[in-house]
Amino acid sequence: MPRRKPQQRRPQRRKDVLHGPGGERGDAFRCTNCRLDVPLTAPGTAHRNHCPHCLTSLHVDGRIPGDRRETCRGRMAAVGVTARRDGEWLLIHHCLACGKLSVNRIAGDDNALTLLRLAMRPLAAGPPFSAQLAL
Amino acid sequence: MSNDIPSSVLRTTTFQCVRCGLTVTAFAPDGRRRNHCPRCLYSQHVRDQVEGGPSECRSGMSPIAIAVLRTGDWELIHNCTRCGELTSNPICGDDNQFILMRMAVRPLAQPPFPLETFGDL
Ligand SMILES: [Zn+2]
Ligand SMILES: [Zn+2]
Ligand SMILES: [Zn+2]
Ligand SMILES: [Zn+2]
Repeated sequence: MPRRKPQQRRPQRRKDVLHGPGGERGDAFRCTNCRLDVPLTAPGTAHRNHCPHCLTSLHVDGRIPGDRRETCRGRMAAVGVTARRDGEWLLIHHCLACGKLSVNRIAGDDNALTLLRLAMRPLAAGPPFSAQLAL
Repeated sequence: MSNDIPSSVLRTTTFQCVRCGLTVTAFAPDGRRRNHCPRCLYSQHVRDQVEGGPSECRSGMSPIAIAVLRTGDWELIHNCTRCGELTSNPICGDDNQFILMRMAVRPLAQPPFPLETFGDL
């Protein structure tokens, strides 16, 4: 971000209120993986739960998405992609601390290349069987 | 499926697939315990992931995605059709390769953005 003109002394409101234990603001969170400051509002979803740049999430939800009842707070890596019947992509997140899995909708501003790389991963790694299927 | 269980593997436990009814040996040919049907890849929700013990749910779990481990091995992600529980398990050597491949390519067949925007990756 380009710095503002130095003579502008008025304090910026967004700077001082830090709500969460990780120091995140009420309207944004900092990605635990790539440190990007992410606004909570996201196009196409009710609430954002992963970083649009690296797709990493944080284990804060319990059984119900958005309930924020989980105390784990481990980093959740995006490990896979699945497509719903209507074609919408969902991300599979895996908590690196406790092993919990979760499914989350993608957001309209998620990095397309990161998404594509994730979806390509099984094929890039190579099928665990001979490509010559036994026909 | 072959009935010739290697003599070294004396474990003849079987389970019946909740989806397609196939009788499946609880241990794959490579000796690993399996949790899903090799024909349709469905599983059954019999373990509570949070508590660790057996689960009362017992509903079918549909295979929804493939995750890749650091080792490059494929893991199969299952989603309980009743309660939404998610599990991750290694694939087995005799798993249906067509269904596995279909799951691997399905998201790519309907991407949320035009693939033309990407040049050579
Ligand atoms: Zn990030
Ligand atoms: Zn966790
Ligand atoms: Zn089956
Ligand atoms: Zn269940």
